[in-house]
Amino acid sequence: MGWGRPLLALLIAGLLLPLVPLLAWAVSGQWRYPGLVPQRLSGRGVRILTDPRSHVLSGVFTSTLISVSVAALACAIGLPAGRAIGVYRFRGRRLVQFLLLAPVIVPGLAVTLGIQVFFIHYGLAASTLGVVLVQLLPTVPYAATVLGAAFANLDLDYERQARALGSGPVRTLVFVTIPLLRPALILAGLFCFLISWNEYVLTLLVGAGQVQTLPLLLFAAIGSSDTTAAAALGVLVVLPPLLLIGLAGRLLAGRSGAAIGLGRL
Amino acid sequence: MRASAASVELAGISKRFGDTVAVADLSLRLPAGSFTALLGPSGCGKSTTLAMLAGLLAPEAGDIALGGASLLGVAAERRPVSLVFQKPLLFPHLSVAQNVGFGLRMRGLTRRDIAPRVQAMLERVQLVGLGARRVGELSGGQEQRVALARALVLAPRLLLLDEPFSQLDPELRAEMRALVRALHDEATTTTLFVTHDRAEAVEVADDIVLMLDGRLAGHGRPELFYCAPPTLEAARFFGVTNEIVGSVCSGCFRDRSGLAVRCNLADGPAVLVVRPEALRISGTESPDSLPGRVTAARFAGTHLALEVATASGALGVHVPVDSPVQIGGHLHVRVPAEASTAFMTKQPS
Amino acid sequence: MPSFRSSRLPRGLRITLLLSPAAVVIGVFFLGGVSQAVAQSFGYQPFLPDYHWSTDAYRAIWLDPAVRASLLITLRVSLASTVIAAVSGVAAALAIRGLRRGRGWVTGLFQVNLAVPHLVGALCMLLLLGQSGVIARLTLTAGLSTSPAAFPQLTGDRFGWGIIAEYAWKETPFVGIIALAALSRGVADLENAARVLGATQWQRRRHVTLPLLAPPVAAASVLVFAFAAGTYEVPYLLGRSYPATLSVVALQDYRDTDLSVRPQAMAVAVVITLLTTVLVIAYLALAKRLSGRPL
Repeated sequence: MGWGRPLLALLIAGLLLPLVPLLAWAVSGQWRYPGLVPQRLSGRGVRILTDPRSHVLSGVFTSTLISVSVAALACAIGLPAGRAIGVYRFRGRRLVQFLLLAPVIVPGLAVTLGIQVFFIHYGLAASTLGVVLVQLLPTVPYAATVLGAAFANLDLDYERQARALGSGPVRTLVFVTIPLLRPALILAGLFCFLISWNEYVLTLLVGAGQVQTLPLLLFAAIGSSDTTAAAALGVLVVLPPLLLIGLAGRLLAGRSGAAIGLGRL
Repeated sequence: MRASAASVELAGISKRFGDTVAVADLSLRLPAGSFTALLGPSGCGKSTTLAMLAGLLAPEAGDIALGGASLLGVAAERRPVSLVFQKPLLFPHLSVAQNVGFGLRMRGLTRRDIAPRVQAMLERVQLVGLGARRVGELSGGQEQRVALARALVLAPRLLLLDEPFSQLDPELRAEMRALVRALHDEATTTTLFVTHDRAEAVEVADDIVLMLDGRLAGHGRPELFYCAPPTLEAARFFGVTNEIVGSVCSGCFRDRSGLAVRCNLADGPAVLVVRPEALRISGTESPDSLPGRVTAARFAGTHLALEVATASGALGVHVPVDSPVQIGGHLHVRVPAEASTAFMTKQPS
Repeated sequence: MPSFRSSRLPRGLRITLLLSPAAVVIGVFFLGGVSQAVAQSFGYQPFLPDYHWSTDAYRAIWLDPAVRASLLITLRVSLASTVIAAVSGVAAALAIRGLRRGRGWVTGLFQVNLAVPHLVGALCMLLLLGQSGVIARLTLTAGLSTSPAAFPQLTGDRFGWGIIAEYAWKETPFVGIIALAALSRGVADLENAARVLGATQWQRRRHVTLPLLAPPVAAASVLVFAFAAGTYEVPYLLGRSYPATLSVVALQDYRDTDLSVRPQAMAVAVVITLLTTVLVIAYLALAKRLSGRPL
């Protein structure tokens, strides 16, 4: 297969190529057309990020707060749901699994437009809580599916053994079940974090522009004429996902179920 | 549909994987139309040999010839060799009939030519009427029959079977063995059947090739391995447990307790092996007998399994069920020269 | 978690309790949202006293040429990017599998842009494919174009090239790693079986490898298509306002100060939902017919 290797190299180069201008613009001071490299490098991009007037730091805080809350909450909801579909065989299980995946497949736009008015009515609009709640929509199905698969592979005898040795239900959960599920929990938490971190439309609609997460700031920056600021912000937004996925790479190996979540990012 | 069976010749075949030697200097010849069992424990190189015969692996040294023509350099897909794997490996997206006809389709036969051959083959493996079934609906035994049919419909000159029934339960295994044997007798393809189960090898094959640690340890009829095993390791593999250490001097094996048994081995240190069922007990002493005391007697269904303590070590003896023995009794154990084999050893006795 | 308190809870009740938090999220938010969108597209206005049911919104969008153009560009963009991602992803997976050394780090590199959010990806495409972007500058240096305007318009264009590029770029590794995962599951054994039966390399690829890849790749492609049809950020940034994709139109109509346009926004959103649901059902029905094997 002589043509396979060079084509692959070309493809990989093509996949990495679009990131190059992003990095270059983030550190450029001046990069007029038609220069192939920036005429002048500068730290302005970085300075903009740390400038309190650009609200980037508060955006980082908001994004982190929301994403961590969403990840924790989604996993807490997904854990019992995962137990239900992974451990028990019941009538309608397939239907439940399908319904669980529906929010992943069906675009969230329609859903959010529909309930937006309720968020306003119940005072959840323009609030961080409201954004956290609405971001449960794409994340809970994913957490439930990953944890469901983990529960299906879990040997319940560990729990029974613990109970036989006198451990109560809560202790069993905390000291036996959860440690056994740790890789799946980390994976689910990680992806819920990332899905939330990258979410734009849901935050825009429910947050009504008041809850300024990093994607919202980035969107505005792209619309502005300051390419360096936008690129710098883009690099900032991309760094946590890259780092976290790189670290979790070993967990991903061989789990094609995890891959489904990646398409959502 | 008749296959023109071919003889198989391996000459000095070697294969290593990294530092491990899988097959070392294997040479053997299988006559055309023979049914041979390739027997050996796990990891002895049997599957590797099969893979090399099929063309999935290339040997590092040596030659493989089919019907006199070398197969080296011939790609696996062009060899007239069929291989049935341990797992049925049926194509899940095709029906049973499509699976069986797969090889014919790859050769370019039209659907009109393929269908009758597939039908005939399904009849031969007793799967009539299942042609339209999907693979997921079959039982384990049915799957292996489809795999067999798929291999045989191509009329190969050499049929290789890599422990194809090890995943089935015992009754099914016996059934499938009989089926393979019947198919062979009909088509007289040269067949090489890999197994680690010596009872299976003895039951199904005309000849046995024993492989131990990647090397040939014996080739011949099953009787050979029982009555006159070619090596000590072969004897041990076939269940010999009685080994008496001694030395040979002018055609006679002697051990330190005075046992003398005729054998034709060169002088030197040796070990004598004899099967439990070949030993005889008697009350009288003779040059080829050992005095001993019965330490255990277990009823084993078809015989009594005795353990007799002698000066040459504990010997296991199988005697008829109604033999008058008791634990603690003294008797003589006779070692018949015609049923025992001596092997040279390197250590001094 | 209440289910653990007593091991003597009846099974059905226990399952219901375990599922209830997730059921609330999905039931209230998802099903509630969809039904609200449907209702509001028919004129329903919660919390407002006067509203009347009508199909005006649907009639309006059916007659609106802008919406038709939006449907066209949405389908075009989604289909094109799905096909490109599927073909490239499968080709890459096959090539990676054929690598003898270095498979590990090539796979790692291959997955890098999975971590990049679509928003950032849109920015990257703007910087790369814009008329004064990096590729345009390269062509100028190579003498292939003379000015920014001479470089073909790939972003903010009628066809949607920039949008297709971003989706294809992001989703190729997605399909690729799903294909890789499918390939590692015993496909090599089946290919060996085919080989011994006389199949050449090309025949093995056609009759064994690709048919085995088809179900998971098809499932992944459905996800890609649904995602491409429903996202907002990418077509907004990389496309133009006319024709915009359906999701952009929906959001624009929603934020229109004229509240009577709102039902139309809902109608468009319902169309998007219907489109993706029909697609998923069609895929599931087809998959069941073809192989009976789930993803």
